[in-house]
Amino acid sequence: MSVVKQRILPNHPCNAEVEVDKISNLPAQIVDKILSHLSLRDAVRTSVLSSKWRYKWVTLPNLVFDNHSLLISSQDQTFIKNKIVNIVDHVLLLHSGPIHKFKLSHRDLQGVCDIDRWILFLSRGSVKEFILEIWKGHRYKLHSSIYLCQKLIHLELFNCLLKPPLSFSGFRSLKSLDLQHITMEQDAFEHLVSSCYLLERLTLMNFEGFSDLKIHAPNLLFFDIGGVFEDINFMDTFNLAIVSIGLYVNPGFDRNLTLGSAGNLVKFFAHLPRIQRLEVQSFFLKYLADGKVPGRLSTPCNELSFLSIRINFNHFDECLAALCLLRSSPNLQELELLARTEDQLDLRTMANVMEENYQNCMFNQLRHVKIAGISGVKQELNFINFLLANSPILERMTVKPASVDGAWEMLKELLRFRRASVQAEIVYLDP
Amino acid sequence: MLEGRMAVVKPEMKSYIWLQTADGSIQQVEEEVAMFCPMICREVLQTGAGSSKNCAISLPQRVNAAILGLILDYCRFHQVPGRSNKERKTFDEKFIRLDTKKLCELTSAADSLQLRPLVDLTSRALARMIEGKTPEEIRETFHLPDDLTEEEKLEPLRNMTDDPRIRLLNRLYARKRKELKEREKLKNVEVEEEQHVDERSVDDLLSFINGEDEDSKGVRTTKSKKKNRRRKEQARNSSTNNETGNHNQESSFPASSCLNDDVPSPSKPSDLQDPAFDEGDIDDELDPVMKEEIDREVEDFARRLNSVWPERMQEILSLGQERRPVPLSVNGNGSLKRYTAGLDGR
Repeated sequence: MSVVKQRILPNHPCNAEVEVDKISNLPAQIVDKILSHLSLRDAVRTSVLSSKWRYKWVTLPNLVFDNHSLLISSQDQTFIKNKIVNIVDHVLLLHSGPIHKFKLSHRDLQGVCDIDRWILFLSRGSVKEFILEIWKGHRYKLHSSIYLCQKLIHLELFNCLLKPPLSFSGFRSLKSLDLQHITMEQDAFEHLVSSCYLLERLTLMNFEGFSDLKIHAPNLLFFDIGGVFEDINFMDTFNLAIVSIGLYVNPGFDRNLTLGSAGNLVKFFAHLPRIQRLEVQSFFLKYLADGKVPGRLSTPCNELSFLSIRINFNHFDECLAALCLLRSSPNLQELELLARTEDQLDLRTMANVMEENYQNCMFNQLRHVKIAGISGVKQELNFINFLLANSPILERMTVKPASVDGAWEMLKELLRFRRASVQAEIVYLDP
Repeated sequence: MLEGRMAVVKPEMKSYIWLQTADGSIQQVEEEVAMFCPMICREVLQTGAGSSKNCAISLPQRVNAAILGLILDYCRFHQVPGRSNKERKTFDEKFIRLDTKKLCELTSAADSLQLRPLVDLTSRALARMIEGKTPEEIRETFHLPDDLTEEEKLEPLRNMTDDPRIRLLNRLYARKRKELKEREKLKNVEVEEEQHVDERSVDDLLSFINGEDEDSKGVRTTKSKKKNRRRKEQARNSSTNNETGNHNQESSFPASSCLNDDVPSPSKPSDLQDPAFDEGDIDDELDPVMKEEIDREVEDFARRLNSVWPERMQEILSLGQERRPVPLSVNGNGSLKRYTAGLDGR
């Protein structure tokens, strides 16, 4: 076939001033940088611009295949899957140079075995960030070659099944691990966390296959977990500064802890000396309240500046646990108390917390308090009174009831409370 | 901390650093402003240069005097510690409102001075200029030469881009490729030069002719595709052409597809028909605005291909023979004879 080889000249009339093409001669790293601000699709499209631009995109270090960069207008699953596979194959083959980040997250991509092939390809290189989100379908079993990617710094998985081989000795460089909707075995999980020595951030949401969390991570700074578990133990997390824990299931009342042993609350804080921000969500306070709850912790959390607790004010143990926490946080600056209502009311829990529990506590740093979801129950008002009376530099307290019922009564009570801080303003928000 | 190492420090005066750009000009800049650039900072600390006019720091070649001015403006603003993020952002947004030439130079210069925040800012601005634009628009903005061969453009892009415009262009290219093949098969001996002319499809030429006609141009943008189809239909049925009613055009259409008389015409029209082009989904998927753009692009494309057409036409006229039995009714006259006349081997 005789193909036209001559270059087509642009049809423009000659300009008086010469329009110079500056951008094509910029250094490769800068062009990479510019292209990295575009979606992969736009970046690849630059290959039609001119002969110099034909292969500028192939050295892009970050490859992101998501809904934005793979625009496929079709409803047919097979068609979409074939398209996505084609595109990824194509890009990987044309690509040249190191790949630092690989993200695959398309809402129509299921856990197909083509992903195995791509992980194998990446494992031969030195990928640093790997993000895989399977939005639909079964848990995708991660191909074993992912465990060979020793240069990984960030690993993020959604809807995957992890089964590291026995010979797996951890990701030596991993600093950030984000696992959501995953399935894994108990030992595998413990081993994974403990063998990633550099781990600084750990996020776990909705996991299956393990319920006993032992966190061995001396360099851990950030820990965020939400799911169903029975027990959680921090072993040597002496640097842990930010913790957010949500227990999504109500732990039963029939848990038998051996008498005399430290309750969960004490155990929990035993290895968190440097904690700065703590969020106790869903039913986790109930878990913490189990067992023996002291008046205050033996070692106060001196660095704790932000505390958010989801609490059921009608539950006696939970209130005690919350008070213990508050009393052990002398430097607290910001506090959130979010009420949780439960359908079942245990008579035992209705007993009011005694007055003396509210003594001996000053919040010398507390500036902002937020209380939400309350309904004007005596316990709640006691708490508010307690906080107002003991916060000399309080600036603002925001109160938001759960509903209009009893709100007026509650307001009347609120008005009466004495405030230790002259600056304090109480802001009432409509439900 | 640095003051001790600076040669000249008068308590009542600010200290300055001397910088020299590649073109030889030397200027002095307030110390705190200049030190905001890591490269200058390093030079000062390591070699102690820049303290006087004689030992001015030579800036990298990519930094010319005008760009240096811009960079120093940037540094002067940002090195002040008290500014809020909002202020900085507002400044940045105004700062990068430059033409592309300046932006590129600025990026390059900032990179050589290792001023990362400025490199990030400018590369983001450049990316915004590329994002979402058509190749033509990008070429226009950055003055890029459109120097890829058709062949290179024909190479598969379709898998990576699902842009309907590219899909359409790809279809056009595919169609052209097909025509090329057809022509190859039919022709025995052709001059290289003229093959260039021969490769054009009938439709492109028809649309080129359309383009010459000022009236139809306006209508063309939204209806051209349907028109093309209709024209093809009509031509195939040998009915009156809706353009100029030129008999040459109409009667020579079937024959135009076959460059040798030997090949029977009936077989050709069907081959000419590009299934892709006749697919209903082309028009269905595109909204009118997109259609206009695409039509414009198709027009451009066809026009580009036909760029040497006028010269060819002259040649053909002068040779008195019709190499291409294509309707040459540009002038609106039927002066060019039909294929029957003079279509013998050259």
